[in-house]
Amino acid sequence: MRKVLSLALTAALSLSLAACGGNTESNSSSTSTDATNTSKNSNSTAETRTLKLAALETAYGSDVWKEVISGFEKANPGVKVETTIDKSLEDVIGPGMKSGDFPDVIHLAVGQPKGLTETFIKDNNLSDLTDVLSMTVPGESVTVKEKLIPGFTDTTITNPYGDGKTFLMPMFYSPTGLFYNAGLLEEKGWSVPTTWDEMWALGDKAKADGIALFSYPTTGYFDSFFYALLNEVGGPEFFTKAMNYTEGIWQSPEATQAFDIINKLATYTEKTVPANGNKDNFTKNQQLILDNKAIFMPNGTWVVGEMGKAPRAEGFKWGFTALPAVKTGGDRFSYTFFEQIWVPAKAKNADLAKQFITYLYSDEAAGIFAKVGAVQPIKGMASKLEGDNKLFYSIYDGGAKAAMGAFATTEPVEGVSISDTVFGTVDSLVTKAKTQAQWVEAITKASDQLRGALK
Amino acid sequence: MEIKKGQGRFIFFCLAPAVILFIVFLIIPTINVFRMSTYKWGGYTDDKTFVGLQNFEKLFHSDKFYQAFQNSLLLIILVTIITFAFALVFASVLSRENLKGQNLLRVIFYIPNILSVVVISAIFSAIYDPNSGLLNAILNLFRGAASDPTLWLGDQKIVIFSLAGAMIWQAIGYYMVMYMASMANIPESLYESADLEGAGRMHQFFTITIPLIWTNIRTTLTFFVISTINMSFLFVVAMTGGGPDGSTEVFLSYMYKEAYTNSSYGYGMAIGVIVFLFSFALAAILNAVTSREHLEY
Repeated sequence: MRKVLSLALTAALSLSLAACGGNTESNSSSTSTDATNTSKNSNSTAETRTLKLAALETAYGSDVWKEVISGFEKANPGVKVETTIDKSLEDVIGPGMKSGDFPDVIHLAVGQPKGLTETFIKDNNLSDLTDVLSMTVPGESVTVKEKLIPGFTDTTITNPYGDGKTFLMPMFYSPTGLFYNAGLLEEKGWSVPTTWDEMWALGDKAKADGIALFSYPTTGYFDSFFYALLNEVGGPEFFTKAMNYTEGIWQSPEATQAFDIINKLATYTEKTVPANGNKDNFTKNQQLILDNKAIFMPNGTWVVGEMGKAPRAEGFKWGFTALPAVKTGGDRFSYTFFEQIWVPAKAKNADLAKQFITYLYSDEAAGIFAKVGAVQPIKGMASKLEGDNKLFYSIYDGGAKAAMGAFATTEPVEGVSISDTVFGTVDSLVTKAKTQAQWVEAITKASDQLRGALK
Repeated sequence: MEIKKGQGRFIFFCLAPAVILFIVFLIIPTINVFRMSTYKWGGYTDDKTFVGLQNFEKLFHSDKFYQAFQNSLLLIILVTIITFAFALVFASVLSRENLKGQNLLRVIFYIPNILSVVVISAIFSAIYDPNSGLLNAILNLFRGAASDPTLWLGDQKIVIFSLAGAMIWQAIGYYMVMYMASMANIPESLYESADLEGAGRMHQFFTITIPLIWTNIRTTLTFFVISTINMSFLFVVAMTGGGPDGSTEVFLSYMYKEAYTNSSYGYGMAIGVIVFLFSFALAAILNAVTSREHLEY
């Protein structure tokens, strides 16, 4: 009797286990039928079509997306937008994509630690969005291209393969440059340097007062700084060559000048910066500006909100300037950072996704985004801003030129990261663990390896 | 015969659930890591190319990998030796001596284990802070406040030791409790007779305590290897992010960077394979070296 009972129990146990397995199977099959349903539905307009949007939740919050989506759904009856908005978006949508379930449109910029967007670019897994540029913005009589500020869709970021085709559309942008305490400079009677020579002179004056010239949150912030500086020393053509790892470019006089400036700047950098230059303590480096312990730091307009609640010196007032010119009367640049929205090549509703992206550039959607400070590169948008943002976004009106783009996309090269090599080493320049010569040599080596893997 | 058959079936069904779980959740993922290390793969989609052992070849030519290897090895050695020594001494003092507030001390030593690594990292980031940190403030009492602050997390020469400090602080309590548990099993009579024979405290410690908890010590050595590899990743991520300039990169942080940030998932898995083999080998070596005749009491 006992044996029968135990056998029955074991059987029940293994059955329940088998049932578990069976369940997951039936679940996954039900999702796949869902997917086929949607693809069928997309052909017949009478039924509801579903657009799957995945967006990274950033400082602008997730509510703004919900508002824009309800506007899109109202304008397109029969369309339902299914959203995934999350702070760790990669972890949420990653597993589904591995099994072939892709969102139709993804708002996630390059430069994130998990590198999801870069992986898609490197794997040629993006839909061509060039035709979006010639699509008419819903409810308006202009095309997307006419509405966008020129230049934004000609960068190495939006056109990653250098073939004139746009694969990523520019979304929220932010000018970057040097942030400082305007109150401190006024109080001391110092003027904002317009050339690097004036910068060094100011650095020596400040040193006498016990104030360091420079601080940086983390070395990652040198990307915008370095790109703008390359534009200053050699102009846009030189910049493009450098971004494409042209042979011998790092030994050119222009590049040497840029390296010299950064290396000299390292000696003017507040000593404790490398100790806090990581993603947990970088606000301490930003705090140096608020406490009048350092004058300038490279940053973006988000820093104002980021440090909104931080204590500050009396009379503190945000100031923002483009990089000083390399010679009197030379060009000054401010790098424009922008986020991107794109469509995976394997998205099931690519057409609907393109319609959605077009809608994002409408006045209606742009107005909703602008309310939370998310500014799209749409002509005339900057003049509608208020407060600090008005000052920041007007930097290009004050004579500074806009620099855009980044190191060109390559096939993944294992163990080689150009951004770690170029920007990460700045910490070592400050601590004097590496020399400028070692730095340039490492960049040249990485650049050589990546050139062969260019797309 | 019939009974025997039934018995076999019974055993089979009893074992089946555990074996299935073991295979599904342990064997298959491990094999998968090995399989994936032979692909060039971004990790997010299903496009992958088979590249054989190329990932390993590149790995053995990478300076960054050797740096991560070196850092991991240094941490394993430092953390193991220092934690081991402190945990053993504290355990022996707390279980052999009559101290006031013994129980309170036990709790205090164990607290770091209850705290999450992120909290510990925040505490140590504050202690190591160059301007307002506890450590520099104490040092300034001796060297004068005007001197340049020591950059505990900024100077490439000392940052790895700063990490080790936080890891040791976190680990001592756990191993101390493990040693105390096995020390409690040693019969009091052994110490009494040793006392009568005139053996001192130190002598008792080395000839009675250590030999009798030897099996426990061997087990913890394996724990040290595995937990240091895992914990160092958490500490690095929460304290330095691998910086400054990659000087605190360890096995798993480098693997993460390559697998995700650098879109080289296959290469990352190759690092995973090396870490797997390395920890296995190190644990085996430690086990072989510390093998002694088992003492009974």
